[in-house]
Amino acid sequence: MEQLQKSVDELLRILQSQELKEPDKKSERKQLIDNATNEIFDFREMARSSLGQTWDTLTSEEQDQFVGLFTRLIEQRYKGKLDAYDNQKIIYKKELINGKKALINTAVIDKDLEILIDYRLKENQGKWLVYDLKIENVSLISNYRRDFDSIIRKEQFAGLVEKMSKQLEKSDTAN
Amino acid sequence: MIPHNVTMGKNFILQAVFILFLLFPVSHTQAAGETDLSAGSEPVLSSGKADEGPNGAEDDAGQEEKWEDEWEEADALADPLEPFNRFFFHFNDKLYFWVLKPVARVYSGIFPEEVQIAVRNFFDNLEAPARAINSLLQGNVRGSASEVARFTLNSTVGIIGFGDFAGDVMGLRSSNEDFGQTLAHYGAGGGFYINWPFLGPSNLRDSLGMLGDGYVHPFILLDVDRDVTIGLRTIEVVNSTALTLGDYELFVGTALDPYAAVKDAYQQYRNGLIQK
Repeated sequence: MEQLQKSVDELLRILQSQELKEPDKKSERKQLIDNATNEIFDFREMARSSLGQTWDTLTSEEQDQFVGLFTRLIEQRYKGKLDAYDNQKIIYKKELINGKKALINTAVIDKDLEILIDYRLKENQGKWLVYDLKIENVSLISNYRRDFDSIIRKEQFAGLVEKMSKQLEKSDTAN
Repeated sequence: MIPHNVTMGKNFILQAVFILFLLFPVSHTQAAGETDLSAGSEPVLSSGKADEGPNGAEDDAGQEEKWEDEWEEADALADPLEPFNRFFFHFNDKLYFWVLKPVARVYSGIFPEEVQIAVRNFFDNLEAPARAINSLLQGNVRGSASEVARFTLNSTVGIIGFGDFAGDVMGLRSSNEDFGQTLAHYGAGGGFYINWPFLGPSNLRDSLGMLGDGYVHPFILLDVDRDVTIGLRTIEVVNSTALTLGDYELFVGTALDPYAAVKDAYQQYRNGLIQK
């Protein structure tokens, strides 16, 4: 867990660094954030479980493609929040470990309100990575599973990929 | 996150819910089914793992077993009204982007964040009576007493609720209970999903809950003029939108079927509150 704490601290440091917020450091900042988040989140595992059974029917190329799209989608969802991070207080409430699985309960104090965030982690080769998080009890993975499922039922995996690509393009041009 | 608006009368909701009740007697069986599921999940979770790991106190052990398998998700909430719900989801979405958001941006430009937080506290304080009653109805005497103390302190020392003296100074936390949760406490399932125009996501049980809580709201108890109530409610909505500008956009902008994502988020959020 110590290694994870370090990665989180590193990410917070990058987010708060005034120097990196300069316009000419934009791509460097993005790169650093990407590196740091990869040390915290297991995007592949998140992508796999958010897809449910469909994952097993995919070729490994399709799986890789999906992981890429999924990672970008998650980034989009939290990018705004990350950029707005301004030294909000994070409280570590509790940590439960059982073998290779762990749950960490935290709270973020934002605008005088306590927002509960729970992380689920798995250990893989000595490294703890987050594979799901719950914000106010809403699991990111469960939520995406329902969301994806709603598309897959009507338009299959191909339709899902197409929708994801379109969605990402839209938000890319919006920024 | 989700646009709430109360420009429709409680009577209308009552009638609508009543009509829905008549139209969908099936909701009872669904409600029962859902309750069975949530009740049934506990024994499954606690099976097998009992002697694993260095579990200390009994309480801790129970919790550790629980989080391990919590992975299983509840069945999707029934949605017999989906076409209507989707229509009103779309309607609320437009309402947010065309009306609520522009207004909230102007509002947010005028009033600093501290003021917005104080206004939020004010409206939140008005819901303390309902929270106190619901805590009591769920057998949580301490939680209820805490709400009473919060309401008393914040309405006086906390300057009619604008400050959170009870929370900041006394460390008294809000219990966040409502009548929908009380109904769930006594075994009521969600019934089916309802996406109300203006009010946003809900279900049959929580709609009844909203109605019940409405009766003990100070606006009703003090017989505040209807137009004044609507005005105040509008301020409440604009204020809470100002405090969460951007959240709704990010969520629906990164969902592939925003309707399905919001519906699921609502269900998970409510289930989380109920389990607490």
